[in-house]
Amino acid sequence: MKKKVLSVILSAAMAATLLAGCGGGGQEAAAPAADASAAQEEAPAEDAAPAADDAAEAPAAGAGTYALVTKSAGNPFNEKVAEGFQSAVDEMGGTAVIQHPESATADAQITVIQSLISQGVDSICIAANDENALQAALEEAAAAGIKVCSVDSTVNVASRSVHVNQAGVTEIGQCLMDAVYDIAGGEGQWAIVSATSQAANQNAWIDAMKSIMESDSKYANLELVEVAYGDDEPQKSTDVTQALLTNYPDLKVICAPTTVGIAAAAKVLQDQGSSVKLTGLGLPSEMAEYIGDDDAHSCPYMFLWNPVDLGYLGAYTSAALVSGEITGAAGDKYAAGTMGDYEIVTAGDSGTEVILGAPFKFDPSNIEEWKSVY
Amino acid sequence: MAGKSGRTISATPEKALRKAVLSWEGMLLVLFVVVNIFCKCISPVYTFTNVLREMPKYLTEIFLLFPMAYILLMGEIDISVGSIVCLAATISCIAGNAGVPFIGVLAIGLLTGTVCGMINGLLTVKFRELPTMIITLGTQIVFRGIAEIVLGDGGSISLSNADGFRAIAGKIGPFPYMFFIVLLCAVIFTVIAEKRVFGRGLYAIGSNSRTAFYSGIRVNRMLFTAYTVMGLMAGVSALFLTSATYGANTTTGKGFEMDAIAMAVFGGISTAGGKGKLIGGIISAFIIVCLRVGLGQINMNPQVILIILGALLICAVLLPNIVQSINMRKASKAKA
Repeated sequence: MKKKVLSVILSAAMAATLLAGCGGGGQEAAAPAADASAAQEEAPAEDAAPAADDAAEAPAAGAGTYALVTKSAGNPFNEKVAEGFQSAVDEMGGTAVIQHPESATADAQITVIQSLISQGVDSICIAANDENALQAALEEAAAAGIKVCSVDSTVNVASRSVHVNQAGVTEIGQCLMDAVYDIAGGEGQWAIVSATSQAANQNAWIDAMKSIMESDSKYANLELVEVAYGDDEPQKSTDVTQALLTNYPDLKVICAPTTVGIAAAAKVLQDQGSSVKLTGLGLPSEMAEYIGDDDAHSCPYMFLWNPVDLGYLGAYTSAALVSGEITGAAGDKYAAGTMGDYEIVTAGDSGTEVILGAPFKFDPSNIEEWKSVY
Repeated sequence: MAGKSGRTISATPEKALRKAVLSWEGMLLVLFVVVNIFCKCISPVYTFTNVLREMPKYLTEIFLLFPMAYILLMGEIDISVGSIVCLAATISCIAGNAGVPFIGVLAIGLLTGTVCGMINGLLTVKFRELPTMIITLGTQIVFRGIAEIVLGDGGSISLSNADGFRAIAGKIGPFPYMFFIVLLCAVIFTVIAEKRVFGRGLYAIGSNSRTAFYSGIRVNRMLFTAYTVMGLMAGVSALFLTSATYGANTTTGKGFEMDAIAMAVFGGISTAGGKGKLIGGIISAFIIVCLRVGLGQINMNPQVILIILGALLICAVLLPNIVQSINMRKASKAKA
């Protein structure tokens, strides 16, 4: 009998030790309420001002608890989003709860959402692992008075108030078109290396580029010779780039709006010392060695979204929803801290979204800093 | 993995030893209370309603615990259940979207699970020389592979009409319907394991399959039945899972088999077979659920929660051994 008691005590003690030891990991997210209230007192009044009129019953705008649910731990892009989210919430004097689900699945995110409902957070901002699977959980959250928005990767219209989109189709098209124009020197042949021919986002961007090119006489001297599909496979992307070089000896610029395509093309061009230059959408970590202004590098500059800004905007969007400043309807306007004013627009899926802005430019001046980031 | 529970066919003569390890279930019950007090202390929102509200996701795994316990008791294992859940959820979603009435969707989900279970059972019985770990590893890959092919490029399917599934996710007061079904299953499976010939057979096969066979137990038939029931319960799990996600994708049910095995082992059921009680598995399942809910509520990093659960599991397996060796030393001292 004694032994039984002993073993129970032992196991309880072991559990307690473990918990005490591991508790540190959770503390940053759990940010005790004391911290929050302290921060709230010193929160600059001008930050809170825009929302104040609508938030009569709520505490000072921005002082709530804002949750961010990422896709999974170890997703570098999402970790940068979380960084931006945290800094925005700190600025507002609120409490940020940042949760990384145990795996990159909708199931794991549902578990996290349920826990956040129990905690009674004011808002949930989520980078969804599945567009539709979170609907039941997010509707339950909304029913419990929690404001829901998605960031990075959207949830379906029924599940969200608004989606915080990293970049709109037109912005990306314009950005890439200008880059091609600039690098080609205003005239000459250029080609596109895309992913698969069915990729919805790729096709939307390519269509946007085409229509921009047609609509403005500025681009009249540019000739798009071919859209090649590398299927987001490194080898196939390499092959199609090679074929472009062989078929079009006068080619000046290749634009690859896909991270796989741009990396493959960059390697081909740089290894062969080709005079053809490259731009597009790429990951800084993969592209660092190819970015440079001289002839030894194949890519003068390229673009992608800035995840820190994305998280920052996500936090301010959450706060605006919580304070009642916006409802998530198209036409709603609000201020996002140092990033200025934003307006909610109708999204492609007939829901609403807010667009972060033009893609972020990576060039030789900042690539060193970003290549270790993501 | 050594003995850690009362019921063993290979009776041990040492009385002190038996006594010490007799009531693993009793200790679990104490631990359950301790865990709840602990969670209540660390989380201000750890209320009955909240725990019940967060529970359904875990309940879907508990469905798998019951037949898994049977299979483990026989000294076998099934690591394909997660994939069966995925396949059953996928097929029933497809049926739902094809306009099959909801009752038919339920039947198709259960049938898919059952058929998968029967395939496992058939392979196990026909190829007794193959370890079930390997057989079910194979079917794990095959079942999920089929699901992935069916799901196609996007890797996920959503119900166009989720009304039926929305209904089965309903609640009576704070209790989800699923809670009562889990309780019902718990009672049925426990009674069969404890009070029926089938239950005796499980322990007999787990202790020594050959002896069991020669003493007239239809080993193959029991194995086939257990694996089939495993598949059926995977179907049940899949349907309730779908009621939470309104769809299925390639990651549906991933890791469920390991969670079910962990609950069983923590509950004192030996993976070597013949030892342990289902009731222990059930208590430990709720210990794990409560701990996860409580720690989740204080926003502990989910990875840290997993580490804690893993450590607890190891403790659970080691503890009886330590107690046992202490007893043995004492016994030998007493003799000397």
